[in-house]
Amino acid sequence: MQSISYPSIRVKVSHAVTDTSASIERRSPHEVMQLSRLGSFHQSRLSFMRVLTRRMQREKWTFSQPVFDIDSNGVGHAVLCAHGPVRTYSLIAFAHDIPATQRSDRVIATAWDSTFTLFDGIPTPEDIDRLSKNVPLQEAGRVTERELSLSRANRSVRLWEHVVSSLAKGQQPDQDQLTSVGYLMRTTAVYGSGKFGAADREIIADRPEFSAPFQLEMLSVYLTRSFSRDLVQHMATLRGGSDAVVLDSHIARSIGIGNSTGLGMAPFILNHPVLFNNWITAREEAIHRVRRVSTAQQGEASIFRELLDRSLVSAERWHSVHPGQVTKIQSLMSDLALLQTHVQRENLIDDNPWDRLYRWALNSLTTEGQECLNSLLLEPYGHLVDDLVDSMATEYNVGIQIDGTKTLADLKDSLLQAYDWALAINWRLPENSARVWYVSAEKLEPRLGERCAESIEDYEQPLSPGRDAALLLESLQSWPKNTSIAEFLLRHPEHRHTVRRVQMAEEYPYAEIRDNTISATLLPIDMLRCKLSFFGAIHFDPRSDRWVRICLFGNAPYPEELANRDSDHWPYPDYQQIASCNTH
Amino acid sequence: MQYSLNEIEALCKRAARGSGLSWGLAEDAARAARWLASYGLPGPKLLASLLELNDRIRFSDVAPVSLSGAWSAPLGRMSPIIAGAAMSDCANHLLGGEDIVMHDVTQPLLIVPFASTAALSRNQSVQIFWDDVCLTTDGRTLSVQGNSDALTAEHTARLTSVCGGDMTNLIISVYRGEIDDMSWKRLSRFAHRTYAPATAESRASGAGAGLDGND
Repeated sequence: MQSISYPSIRVKVSHAVTDTSASIERRSPHEVMQLSRLGSFHQSRLSFMRVLTRRMQREKWTFSQPVFDIDSNGVGHAVLCAHGPVRTYSLIAFAHDIPATQRSDRVIATAWDSTFTLFDGIPTPEDIDRLSKNVPLQEAGRVTERELSLSRANRSVRLWEHVVSSLAKGQQPDQDQLTSVGYLMRTTAVYGSGKFGAADREIIADRPEFSAPFQLEMLSVYLTRSFSRDLVQHMATLRGGSDAVVLDSHIARSIGIGNSTGLGMAPFILNHPVLFNNWITAREEAIHRVRRVSTAQQGEASIFRELLDRSLVSAERWHSVHPGQVTKIQSLMSDLALLQTHVQRENLIDDNPWDRLYRWALNSLTTEGQECLNSLLLEPYGHLVDDLVDSMATEYNVGIQIDGTKTLADLKDSLLQAYDWALAINWRLPENSARVWYVSAEKLEPRLGERCAESIEDYEQPLSPGRDAALLLESLQSWPKNTSIAEFLLRHPEHRHTVRRVQMAEEYPYAEIRDNTISATLLPIDMLRCKLSFFGAIHFDPRSDRWVRICLFGNAPYPEELANRDSDHWPYPDYQQIASCNTH
Repeated sequence: MQYSLNEIEALCKRAARGSGLSWGLAEDAARAARWLASYGLPGPKLLASLLELNDRIRFSDVAPVSLSGAWSAPLGRMSPIIAGAAMSDCANHLLGGEDIVMHDVTQPLLIVPFASTAALSRNQSVQIFWDDVCLTTDGRTLSVQGNSDALTAEHTARLTSVCGGDMTNLIISVYRGEIDDMSWKRLSRFAHRTYAPATAESRASGAGAGLDGND
């Protein structure tokens, strides 16, 4: 098969801001922080996977595989090293042979096809020996500060066997089958930040390669994808001997890593309000900067049009059986078709072209299409927006200090400013407080229950900022306005968590989801999708309203291809795939 | 055993909540224990003792009666978490030069992390002394002077916080916490109270059972 080359795209800087541009404002938190909108977010060039691949290409990272010791039963271990300009990181993979009955993606599983850790440096045989006794146990094992992550993956049973048997027989696997699944292995948890004894983020936060959020987790997944390709090839070669062929690189590239994500991820964005604010602020500022471009270059318009075409192909490959998602995918496809027609006749050069497009979309597209467009708008403008990545992380403890010397009048003002939406909800109606977030004793994992039907209210986690703000306001009403917040909290410690959030929202306007997170109609998958879009996930496939399957790094260049391929626009299916689709 | 600071904070937060503290104070207690552990000090162990002492006690019994004058609690022993949080809330006054004096404080070392939060917010240092020990922090570093045995005093009759102080005799911060098994178990017992017992409903739908995960 021929190698694919992308059209070379050169972009001149063009961001003169006119008087008209000056009146273009960033979207308000009220507009953005709705669950239906957050649940429609798409990956963008600020997504963490893309931040990683850009950096690795820019810094000319190299890769090696010093150990690949796996037998014909698929049991053994391998080490994949990523060498950055200063440091080396190693994915240590343990491959296992588990019976099909034990293969489960639930976080409660106890056996996996492969288990992994990202090691800080190059492991010695003693390190590997130590880790071989712990990493396969996952939550039941312990790792140390030399380990940066802990993760596991299961094979896609039908695709794995299809690829192994095809290659062993000397044939390439069927592209359609590969496309319909999208991955050979799916991770079911990637733990970082000190979990199970791993290094705290503070240990590595000052390293440039990990300054953006979730970079080590993304590196771990990126190397895991590479491992899944190498392992499938290895198994095929062992089975087929001299008949076996090498997996075509183009087919290989279409393979990503699946990921199953459940409720555990949803509370994250509520429990890390400043971090979440920084992600949303970066994206909103990026959209804002592009909308303010008064005159676009032809090359910029071309990139936009090209990636819009490629987005449509991607949407066509997005499959789900979840009714809500099916509707969203249909909306996206008709939105993108409409957008395609619109931009064919539209001038994308003069007169704030991107802002005009943005405004057109507000009246013409669904939320799904609007957010896809917003991500696409950023694509031609790396020189304008990529620096925002530097503002997406946060230091530990930022925003936690309560200024108790302010008065209750100040507090009330802030509350009315950021939580007016919550005061419009009657929280006493059962449907508005229907759900309870709690942690189960059995699995120590976040759960969502029914307030009226289950005895769980005593265990409620503080994950309903809107209701809690309304309760705080009720308590404030009986206090003199000039009382200090510190005095108030001495009598009302139950509001301390919410007072902190209210003050945080002053400085971090996108910190809070401005929507009901305990409503009977809540779809936790909206929260999951929002977070996963920042990772760079595509093709969200909810398997219920509480867990979702996604694909990571599909179409991404493999380590050995990073130096020579497009490291920027890989999430969009390439031209050859478009041609192949058209042929079918 | 050695734990990451994140693990320590997560357990301490649940434990503090399990003992009856509000979520906001549980967050503060957990950060305090973590902060002390990051200097090799026995924050989690002291927290475990405090939670046992004040288990499900009425909040107002061990909280300052008032924030004017010297602070004291009705029960004759003040919770360092509640008092520390209030001191942190009053950081602007403290760093403006108003000393804070507290009477009869339990586990006084647990107050120091709150001085650190206050110091960090204004880029100044704060000094805290009780018995014959004095600690100074600018939020990023910690200095200890005097009798280090007094650090783990269970109770002090008088504790004073003042703005300023020299950062000498620094304690080196670490990124891991060494916690004895007994303290971890004591904290885990409290944390366990925050977990809902599994029911048929929670097993069936709490995590969102749905389509099979295998393909």
